[in-house]
Amino acid sequence: MSELVLSGHGLVKRFGPTVALGGVDLAVAAGEAVAIMGPSGSGKSTLLHCLAGIMKPDAGEVLLLGQRIDSLGERRRSELRRTRFGFVFQFGQLLPELPAEENVALPLMLGGVARGEAVRAARGWFGPLGLAGLEGRRPGELSGGQAQRVAIARALVSKPAVVFADEPTGALDQNTGHETMRLLVEATKHNGASLVVVTHDPNVARWCDRTVEVRDGQLLVPAGGVV
Amino acid sequence: MRTTLELAWRLLRGGGRRGLLGSLLTLAAVAVSTGLLLFAVGANHAFSQRADADAWRHPATMAGGAATAVQALDTDYVRGTPITIVDLAATGGSASRQAPVPPGMKAFPKPGDLWVSPALADMIKKLPADQLAKRFRAGAPTGILGDEALVHPGELVAVAGHKPADPAMTVERNDTTGSETTASPAPIDHYATGAVSTIPQVYQILAIIASVLMVVPLLVFGGAAARLTVARRDQRLAALRLVGATPGQVVAITAAEAVLTAAAGAVAGALLYAAAIPALTQITIGGGTWFAGDLWPGLLPLAAVLVAVPLLVGVSAIVGLRRVVVSPLGVAKRETPPGMKAIRLAVFGAIVVAFGMISGNLLSMGKTGAVLLVVFLALGFLSINLVGPWVVALIGRVTAGTARGPARLLAGRRLIDDPRSAWRTVAGVALTGFVAGFLSLMNPAAMPGADAKDRMELTVAKARAAAVADQARERLAGIPAKVTVGGAGSDDYSRTVEITVPGGDAAVDRARTALHGVVPGTSPTPPAGSGAELYLLADLRTGALTVLVVSFLIAITSAGITGASAVLDRRQTYAMLRLAGTPLEVLDRARRQETLIPLAVMGGGSLLTGLFFASPFAVGFGFSGALTLVAFVVLGFAGIIGAGALSRPLLRSVTADPAPRPD
Ligand SMILES: Nc1ncnc2c1ncn2[C@@H]1O[C@H](COP(=O)(O)OP(=O)(O)OP(=O)(O)O)[C@@H](O)[C@H]1O
Ligand SMILES: [Mg+2]
Repeated sequence: MSELVLSGHGLVKRFGPTVALGGVDLAVAAGEAVAIMGPSGSGKSTLLHCLAGIMKPDAGEVLLLGQRIDSLGERRRSELRRTRFGFVFQFGQLLPELPAEENVALPLMLGGVARGEAVRAARGWFGPLGLAGLEGRRPGELSGGQAQRVAIARALVSKPAVVFADEPTGALDQNTGHETMRLLVEATKHNGASLVVVTHDPNVARWCDRTVEVRDGQLLVPAGGVV
Repeated sequence: MRTTLELAWRLLRGGGRRGLLGSLLTLAAVAVSTGLLLFAVGANHAFSQRADADAWRHPATMAGGAATAVQALDTDYVRGTPITIVDLAATGGSASRQAPVPPGMKAFPKPGDLWVSPALADMIKKLPADQLAKRFRAGAPTGILGDEALVHPGELVAVAGHKPADPAMTVERNDTTGSETTASPAPIDHYATGAVSTIPQVYQILAIIASVLMVVPLLVFGGAAARLTVARRDQRLAALRLVGATPGQVVAITAAEAVLTAAAGAVAGALLYAAAIPALTQITIGGGTWFAGDLWPGLLPLAAVLVAVPLLVGVSAIVGLRRVVVSPLGVAKRETPPGMKAIRLAVFGAIVVAFGMISGNLLSMGKTGAVLLVVFLALGFLSINLVGPWVVALIGRVTAGTARGPARLLAGRRLIDDPRSAWRTVAGVALTGFVAGFLSLMNPAAMPGADAKDRMELTVAKARAAAVADQARERLAGIPAKVTVGGAGSDDYSRTVEITVPGGDAAVDRARTALHGVVPGTSPTPPAGSGAELYLLADLRTGALTVLVVSFLIAITSAGITGASAVLDRRQTYAMLRLAGTPLEVLDRARRQETLIPLAVMGGGSLLTGLFFASPFAVGFGFSGALTLVAFVVLGFAGIIGAGALSRPLLRSVTADPAPRPD
C-alpha cells in the first residue's frame, strides 16, 4: 500500500445534542480516490469538512502527511486549504463576477503568482476539460456541467495534495453527472492528487478506487475489514 | 390583496436572522432619511416663521387719512447685540377703527409704555442703568412681549408708546445700512404678514438652496435603502417567479414589504427628529437660536412626509425589481449586465455646459437667477448621480485590466459587475464633495468692520453735523470718547459724526446711553459693513457647515449601511472564498478598494463640479475654503474606511462557518 496522505482518527463532531460524527477513522493514500456514501443526514459532509480543515472536530485528530492539522489556528488551516487542498461543491464556488479563466487563476494569484502567468496556467486547463473557447465567459453564462468543469480546473490548478468534492454532480442530470465525475477522477489522478468525494450515486462511486459507507455518524466496516 | 400582504409579512418575519438584519438596516436607513428630510422641511418652515415674526416691524404705509397709528423703527446696540426698537403712537382713530394691536402684545401701547422682550428685560435688570435702562424714557418695562413678536428667543426688542407729536414719531430717519434696520415714522392701519423685508427673503432663498443640497443626496440615499429590501429578497423572489408567481404578485409582495418596513422607518425617523429638535434649536443663525415651534414643520407637512417616504421607497423598490420580473432567471444566473449607455455622460456634459453658459448672468437676473440656480444645483446633483455608475463601471474596467494582485482584481471585477451598488456606497460622500466644492467658494475671509466694536456713527444733515457733534461731546463728558465730523455720508447732503469709545463694552454702552436722543429716534450705527450683513456672512458659514455636516451624516450612514448589506448579499460568495482558503485580509482589501477607488475618482470629480457651479458667486476662497476642501477629503476617506470597517465583524461572522449550505 502506498504512502498515506491524509488520515482522520477517532473524529467526533457534535452539533448541540446531535452527534454528527461518533468517532470515525479514515485514511486516504496518495493518488487514491475514495467515495463516501450514506443516507442523508448521516454525517458525510461533516466528515469531509473535518478532514479538510473547514471544521474543527470536537475530538480525534487529522493528519496531513504525518502532520496534525486539526489543532492549527484558523489562519494556518486557511492557508493549508489554499495550498494543499482543492474543493468542488454542488454549486456556488465560482465567483459570479469573474470570467471563467480568472476564476481558475484566482488560487494561483492568491498564492503570489503574477497575474499574466496565473491566467496562462489557467487557460491550459480549458482544452483538456473540454472547455476550449469558454475562457472569457462568466459563470452565469455557462451550463451546469461546464461550470462544474471550471470548478474542477480551479480545484486542481494549484497542484493540491487532496481534492474534496461534496456531491459535485448533485445538481446535474445523470449523463452530465457521470461525464463530470469521470473527468474529476481522471484529472485528479492525472495530477497525482488524492480525491475524497461525497456522493449519493452508486454508479458515480464506481469511478473511485474505494467506497466507504457512513451511517449515523459511524463508518460501516466493509466486508474486507480494512478501512 | 390580503394574501399578498400576508405573504409579505411572512417573508419579512420568516427571513431568519440575516433577513431581519437586512430589514433593520433598511429601517435604519429610512429613519435617518426621514429625520433629515424633516430637518430640511423644518428649516424652511423655521425661516418662514422668522420672516413672519419680522413682518410686523415693516408694515405697509397707509394714505394719511385711513391710518390709525404711526410706527417707526430703529436699531440700537447693547454689548454689540442689536436691539430692535419699535416706536408707536395712536393717531386717534374712532371707536370702530382702533390702532392695530402689534403681535405679542395685549393692547396698543399707551404713551409712556415700554414693552420689551424677555431677553431685553433681563439685560435691563442686569446692566447698570447708565448703560441701558436710561435709554428708555420709561426706565423700567411696563410689559413683556410675547414670542409672536420675536424673531428668535434671545432677541432684544423694545416697543415704546408715544404721543403722536413726540419727536420720535415725527423726525425722519436715515437708513444708512440699507439692511432695513431703521424706518422713518409712517402711517399704518394694520400689520403685514409674510416676508416683507429683504434680509428674511435672502435667508429664505438660502434655506431653499441648502435644502436642495441636503435633499438630493437624501433621495439618492433613500433610493439605495429601498433597493436594499429588493437586493436581499431578489433571490427568493426569483425563486417565487420560478415556481410560478405572476409578475404582479411578485411586485405586490415586494412593494408591500418595502412599504411596511419604510413606514416603520419613517415613524422612527419622525421621532428621531422630534428628539433632535432641542439640539437643533441651538444652531445660531441671524444672531439668535430658534423656537422649538419654528423647527417643527407642522402637522400637514409631517403627515405628507410620513406618507410620501414609504410610497417613494415602495416605488423605488418596484423599479429595482424590474430585472427580476422581466427575467426570472436574471438574478439567479448573474449574466453579464448590459453595458451602461454613454448617454449618461452626455447628459452630465450638457448640464455642465448649459450652466457654464448662463452662469455669468445669474447674478444679474435677480429672483429668476435664484430659481435657475436652485434648478441647476438639483440638476447638477442628479447628473452626478446619473454619471456615477457609468464612471464606476469604467473605473472597474481600468482597475480590473491593470490589476496585478487578487484583491484589486476582485475589486475591479465587482465594480464592473454591479457599478450601481458600488456607486451607492460612495454616492453620499461623492455628492458631499459637490457640496463641499460649492461651499468652499462661499467663504468670505475677513469681515470688514468686525474689529470696529469701539466705533459708531450718526448720519445727519450736512448743516447740522457740527451742532450734533458738539452736543455729543457735551453728553459724553466723563466718558473717554472722541467725536469727529467725518466725510460725506450716503449722499452729498449728509455727514457722519464719528464717535470712538475705547475702554470696552461697558464704556461703549455708557456712551450709547448718553447719546440717546441726540438725534431723536435714531441710534448710532456701527460703521458700515458690520450690521446685519455681518450676520449674513457668518450665517452663510453656519449654514454651510450645517449642510456639510448633514450631508456627511447621510454619506457615512449610507456607506455603512450599503457596505453591511453588500456583505450580507454576498455572504455565500465570501464564505466560499474563505472555504477555499482566501485570507480574510484579501477579502477586506478587495472590499476597501471597491469603495476607495471609485471614491477617489468620483469624490474628486464632484468636488470639481461643485467648485464650477459655485464659481459665478465666489465670495472668496481663502483659508477656510481650503480648510473645507481638506476636511472633506480627509473626513471623506476616513469616514468611508470607518464605515467599511464597521461591517468587518459582519464579514467575519458570515465567513466564520464556511461550510457551504443553501440558505
Ligand atoms: N451547522 C450545523 N448545525 C447543527 N446541526 C448540523 C449542522 N451541520 C450538520 N448538522 C447535523 O449533523 C448531521 C450530519 O449532517 P451532514 O451535513 O454531515 O449530513 P450529510 O450526510 O452530508 O447529509 P446529506 O447527504 O443530506 O448532505 C445532521 O443530523 C445535521 O442535521
Ligand atoms: Mg451533505
